[in-house]
Amino acid sequence: MIKFLFKGIIRDKSRSMLPIIVISLGVSLTIVLSGFLSGAMTDMVDQNAKFETGHVKIMSRAYADNKDQLPNDLALLGVDSLVANLQVNYPDLQWVKRIRFGGLLDAPDGNGESKGQGPAAGIAINLLDASSGEVERMNISNSIVSGNLPKNAKEALIGDEFANKLNLKIGDEVTYFGTTMNGSMTFQNFIISGTIRFGVAAMDRGAILLDITAAQEMLDMEDGTGEILGFYNNGVYDDKAAIALETAFNKRFENNPDEYAPEMFTLRAQNNLGDLLDYANNMSAIFVIIFVGAMSVVLWNTGLIGGLRRYQEFGIRLALGESKGSIYRSLVLEATLIGIIGSLVGTSLGLIGAFYLQNYGINIEGMVDNSAMMMPTVMRAKVTPDLYYIGFIPGVFAMVFGNMLSGIGIYKRETASLFKELEV
Amino acid sequence: MKLSFQLAYRNLIGAGLRTWLNVGILTFTFLVIIFYNGLLDGWNQQAKRDAINWEFGYGQFHHKFYEPYNPFTLQDAHGKFNVKETKGLTPLLIRQASIYPNGRMLSITLKGLPKNQRALKIPIGNLGKHLGAIPVAIGKRMANAANLSIGDEITLRWRDKNGTFDATNVVVATIFNTTISTVDQGQIWMTLEDLWRITGLKNEATILIADTQFKDTEFEDWKYISQDKLLKNINDIIEVERASARIVYFMLLAIALLAIFDTQVLSVFRRQKEIGTYIALGMTRTQVTGLFTIEGSMYSLFSMLVGAIIGVPLFWYLADKGISFGSVTADMGIGLGDRIYPSFSPELLISSALVVIISATIVSFVPAHKIANMNPVTALKGKLQ
Amino acid sequence: MKNQLIIACLLPIWTFQVKAQDAKTILERVDKNMVSKTEITESEMVIRGKRNVQTIGSKSYTEGNQKSFTEYLYPERERGTKMLKLGDRLWIYSPSTDRTIQLSGHMLRQSVMGSDLSYEDMMEDRKLSEIYEGKVQGEETLSGRKVWILELIASVEDVSYYKRMIWIDQERYIPLQEELFAKSGQLLKRTVMSEIEQIEGRWYPKKINFKDVLKGGEGTDFILKKVQFNPTIPDYIFTKASLKK
Repeated sequence: MIKFLFKGIIRDKSRSMLPIIVISLGVSLTIVLSGFLSGAMTDMVDQNAKFETGHVKIMSRAYADNKDQLPNDLALLGVDSLVANLQVNYPDLQWVKRIRFGGLLDAPDGNGESKGQGPAAGIAINLLDASSGEVERMNISNSIVSGNLPKNAKEALIGDEFANKLNLKIGDEVTYFGTTMNGSMTFQNFIISGTIRFGVAAMDRGAILLDITAAQEMLDMEDGTGEILGFYNNGVYDDKAAIALETAFNKRFENNPDEYAPEMFTLRAQNNLGDLLDYANNMSAIFVIIFVGAMSVVLWNTGLIGGLRRYQEFGIRLALGESKGSIYRSLVLEATLIGIIGSLVGTSLGLIGAFYLQNYGINIEGMVDNSAMMMPTVMRAKVTPDLYYIGFIPGVFAMVFGNMLSGIGIYKRETASLFKELEV
Repeated sequence: MKLSFQLAYRNLIGAGLRTWLNVGILTFTFLVIIFYNGLLDGWNQQAKRDAINWEFGYGQFHHKFYEPYNPFTLQDAHGKFNVKETKGLTPLLIRQASIYPNGRMLSITLKGLPKNQRALKIPIGNLGKHLGAIPVAIGKRMANAANLSIGDEITLRWRDKNGTFDATNVVVATIFNTTISTVDQGQIWMTLEDLWRITGLKNEATILIADTQFKDTEFEDWKYISQDKLLKNINDIIEVERASARIVYFMLLAIALLAIFDTQVLSVFRRQKEIGTYIALGMTRTQVTGLFTIEGSMYSLFSMLVGAIIGVPLFWYLADKGISFGSVTADMGIGLGDRIYPSFSPELLISSALVVIISATIVSFVPAHKIANMNPVTALKGKLQ
Repeated sequence: MKNQLIIACLLPIWTFQVKAQDAKTILERVDKNMVSKTEITESEMVIRGKRNVQTIGSKSYTEGNQKSFTEYLYPERERGTKMLKLGDRLWIYSPSTDRTIQLSGHMLRQSVMGSDLSYEDMMEDRKLSEIYEGKVQGEETLSGRKVWILELIASVEDVSYYKRMIWIDQERYIPLQEELFAKSGQLLKRTVMSEIEQIEGRWYPKKINFKDVLKGGEGTDFILKKVQFNPTIPDYIFTKASLKK
């Protein structure tokens, strides 16, 4: 039966083409929009996660208590084994080390004498290893105002404003001067590979961005780090899983009296982001429901038209002796098939679109009449797991529902009148 | 024309469920557009109001050496001001100091405002009499970061105008709650009188805060920063939020309009006999097209009506009670209050209504337009075209 | 680095001249005992962090209280770092970067290596007698030694510490303890000298503990390993060129 209907769908283009195209479009639109919505709704939370809190963050207990002071003397140690352990035990998250630090930047003139100095708030991340995802995560490539990403640990990005103030150019050397984890003095030269402006207040106050290995060496923090951030591999914060992870992880250290023992915090627990997260999730859920609802109406109409168009055919089939029930069932089954095909095509297209928007986003700079933007102007979609099935709801159900409704006509109308439509 | 409206009305009511689904979606879109814009307007107004009330005043005169965000400049960024010439200006003196929570040194910014000042909402007036220690005000974020609560005494160490170290105990007299993190994080506030006394910088200030918009731009050692310039960052952020919101509700609108469009296509397709009949009865094709267009755009009128029934009490309530976003402490470069009170201006309501009505009319017209090309005889026969 | 600071802080005391007869006499004797025109010291600084103890070795050359040059010897991380102070100017050289950085202006007010000492603390090159009025406050017994307690109050405005209290051994003419106070009278820092030994006929503390009393922890120890009094120090030592050598 299905094989027969399937052949019908393939051979009779008028029966299949239009509905499939409409369903595919509708489904892919639903997916792209849902993805875009969750992206837009959670962009603030996301921004925080990427730049500050991670989906989960591990700090030493003492560091966590004083975290606003960037207390690297209280940093986590033995992190290589800790991170390795995390990677084995929690492979669905990507674990990255970050160090925030303060100090001074000193720019030399031609004779090596200081020509300018300024306070440096620095952040060190895994800049060199693309597999860490940090460069992408923090949108660094797009935030570079001039120059390029550092190619080795000897290069650094510095704040655009800072560079302008000290009249520094790409390729110039600056010296960082600060304090190691143990309180000794430390110096390090860096070649400026580029200047950067994030548009995120918390980041732009920082003047220097380094590779984590450079910072570890410079700050005498080999095998140490201020923070370990965990990000779910799919880029989406999973609240339930994160809370479970937090509980399980912290339980392991429950009886460890060491004030430098690691402690995990979920995104929810940091910066009071929990409420905002709830709000964003609720809002985007409401929007998605509405989208799906609206799309269902559209596709239902398509189903109706599809069914109505074929009254003549039903008339002939009735005349040939097929039972009303059998026609109705074949109609519904056919609609289901068309719905599934359309939804599959639409979901694939939609996901491609959503992934594209996730990676490239929509640049709204043109919509914002402002040259000195302090905010990221690229709106991104967020591909959440529900996008994989959400399209099937309007795609299959609405199509089937529409056909079922239009099919009721088969029962209402007399065989004769249905048949009559053929000859008119 | 009246007939068209009556007919359209009856047709729509007669269509039952599908009409209400379309109206429902359009209503929702309409409400979302208003709500979103109202929310952003409210947020914008609130963020600006807070920024003005807590930090910027109506413009500021900065001492020529003062650079915001560069603590090094604070050392020298202060100067005497002439009390007579600076009428309407509230002096703010900024110095660096240290406190020692948990035995760790924490660098902070020490700010002083006149006890009887009205320019900013910092509760300087609450700093009562000295009871051994100098009373200070801190923000909630600072209180959390340094683990301080009201009544706590901490040692504050600073340098006076000659660089001589001085230290004394200060007592946290009041903790204020503000959406503006830049007057909270890492800062301790005391009366300007106290700050003058302990630093020896009598009659000096780093910033003079205006209580009205100023015309003259510079004098002596002071450079004028207008309120607009100070608020630019907030405007920028709201502008971006608005643009992103616009994408979302254009998408919503597009879907709602697609539903109407689709319904219209279906109507034109299904009701050919009806169309033929109208023409046979003497209506011109333009009139029939008009009828169908009115039918389509009537969805938007219905949705206005339903929107008003739902929206008026809802928005009234929201504008009055505000919407809680929780207390987000993260620094997003803009104040996000515990509650945002949406603001629904008449311009917003009218423009949103026009957008919905006009766009609904256009999408209704496009399929109805086909009627003009119909052959009335075949249409009357109901022959599918 | 920190021993540099301590020397800088203590040196002015040793060249102290006061008006009050008693205090003046006492401090002159202290000077005679401890101060030499030039000095070469090798010392160790023990920094007790919350989590570990670090020992840093250095060699310092000083001439009066205007010039000093310090080179760090160990650990490996610090080796070759040099610091030069000439009058009110301070340069730091780091071999890893091959850069000489001058600290000036507001920079001098920043904390040194996260400690609670500012660079400015060690830049004071005026004699204490120029900036403080001193008097003998009383006598007591400290660590089993009879001591005079001297109180110094700033006589000029631009000093870092408004008041200093110094405990001086009555027999050996050597300071055993010093406390630095804020204008308000709040105690800020305390220096304690111990392990007093006779070196080349002078009584000299071999261990000095430096503590910022507002901060937690046990402070920093400065341990004297070797000292030479009045050696000949070639002039080139106190030049910027010697930093890079």
